[in-house]
Amino acid sequence: MQYSEDLLGRQNADGGWSYHRGGSWTEPTCYALLALTASGASHTLEVRRGVEWLRRCQRADGGFAPRESVSESIWLTALTLLLPPETEGLDRQRAEAWTAEQTGRESGWVNRLRLWMLGADSSGDSMGFDGWAWYPGTAAWVTPTAVSVLALEKMAKNGNPADLEKRIQEGRSFLLARRCRDGGWNHGSTRALGYDSDSYPETTGIALLALHGTTGPEVSKGLERGEQHLAACQSSEAASWLRLGLGAHGRPAPVADLPMHGGVMEIAIAALADAAQAGDNPFLV
Amino acid sequence: MKITRRSWTKTAGLAAAVTTGAAAGASCARPSKITQPWAPVSIYRAATYSEELYDLVRRIIAEHAVDVRGKRVVLKPNLVEFDAHTVINTNPKLVHAALEAFRAAGAADVRIAEGPGHRRVTLDLADAGGYFATVPKFETIFTDLNLDEITRVALVNPQSRLKSLFLPNTILGSDLLVSMPKLKTHHWAGATLSMKNLFGIVPGGVYGWPKNVLHWAGIPECIADLHALFPKAFAIVDGIVGMEGNGPIQGTPRTAGVVIAGASPVAVDATCCRIMGLDPTRIRYLQLAAGEQNLGEDLIPQRGERISSVASRFAVLPGLETLRLPG
Repeated sequence: MQYSEDLLGRQNADGGWSYHRGGSWTEPTCYALLALTASGASHTLEVRRGVEWLRRCQRADGGFAPRESVSESIWLTALTLLLPPETEGLDRQRAEAWTAEQTGRESGWVNRLRLWMLGADSSGDSMGFDGWAWYPGTAAWVTPTAVSVLALEKMAKNGNPADLEKRIQEGRSFLLARRCRDGGWNHGSTRALGYDSDSYPETTGIALLALHGTTGPEVSKGLERGEQHLAACQSSEAASWLRLGLGAHGRPAPVADLPMHGGVMEIAIAALADAAQAGDNPFLV
Repeated sequence: MKITRRSWTKTAGLAAAVTTGAAAGASCARPSKITQPWAPVSIYRAATYSEELYDLVRRIIAEHAVDVRGKRVVLKPNLVEFDAHTVINTNPKLVHAALEAFRAAGAADVRIAEGPGHRRVTLDLADAGGYFATVPKFETIFTDLNLDEITRVALVNPQSRLKSLFLPNTILGSDLLVSMPKLKTHHWAGATLSMKNLFGIVPGGVYGWPKNVLHWAGIPECIADLHALFPKAFAIVDGIVGMEGNGPIQGTPRTAGVVIAGASPVAVDATCCRIMGLDPTRIRYLQLAAGEQNLGEDLIPQRGERISSVASRFAVLPGLETLRLPG
């Protein structure tokens, strides 16, 4: 409840939320709305104002821009699909279509041909599966892929599962292929110039969340790494993602006693982790 | 004769056409025509992150006659990873010394600002890097450039494929941008210094983590493009303990014991390269940023120590040996 009050107090006059202070952005607005609707309390007016702001960021192509002044649709279109159905006013069908057709540039035929001509191995983790990019025309990475998998899963429950299942499965495979050697996930670069890269707590949490329901040795090692990350975590927001990820695999995780810096994302993710721990994971229902 | 894809590519001469552009431009090294001197570069010894840094940075600002009276100054350190030992990140003591020095020089406002490329939890990263403990009221003077207010800016005669970029208003509204990188080798670009440090001003809130749009548009070209937007940035490089080998993240700490500074990022970075034992004329982004202006050592006036007296041959990854200075 405290988190809800914090979030309501941070709502901008235009209905959206900023990351810390200043103008409204789509991403913190989505997470704030997700947290408020998950809290169980009725904030009808505030939610409606938030959705109304969000609606102004939906572009003609169906995707969402990170804020009103930006004229490109980006990855966080998937976030809007995670909002519960009662947040009416968004054209979800077109947002879903925009999300479903996005892929990382590295898996396109032009890049595969380029690598083939250079004699590079294109069969490894970079090329194998279609993930999602942060920004159109660039490569796929862990966070936008995990969020898109969760979003399309939610849409599949309410719409055309057969159409979306292949992309969802591709996304999960992408995540499994982008595991770091230590078992967890970083932003999506497992190896560079022959050197293994280490995983991060926040991306390990969000990847585990997107892989809920998936079992096997890769996921088990990811869970183990997630628990190690949580024990040594230095970030409240990262710890909340780990709670969400571990909880999605039936491994309840303790609330970490870490300083919070008051960012909207930090507050919203903590609220969402609490809701999930109480048995109502807003990403999965 | 069997034609393999490697031999075919070589024979057809297509490698250059399909490569996005080698970051380190070993094959492109050539003397440039214009032989005007660059702005001077200061090289000072600093054995540790001690209180002496406060005097040192004040001296540097005075030496370069940096007039910040009544102006807005933004200090841009390099924050990369959670690292209690501050080997990866610019040391907070040096940043605080700069903060105090610019305030003492009469700046109306001095902020610290950064937008890390991989980790989204910037304040936690800064906390773990010692910034909260070192800089009083850090949270009130810090801007996360990944999440700041933004404005679309047209690039000036871009060398990359980009025509414009959204950039943070904190940077665009400043009168003086001070780039404060760590002295490091870089596995793609050869070296990461004051110019490469400007990748951190590109907002992740629009482009993501990493800012992959810069990679696809060409790393050296984008470094040169960002430099062209802020050619008068001041540079203060933390070379007290740098990083060699597989930088910018997985390299090895390397004590160089120097602070390098100046009003020309190109000249400062070229000097830093020489201190690390790298040939700046073989670093592609320095070639692009220098254009026709020669990067010869004799054209960069030096104050303080001579390069030869502080040079510390940094290890580089095997593929980057061609960037080394002879000897």
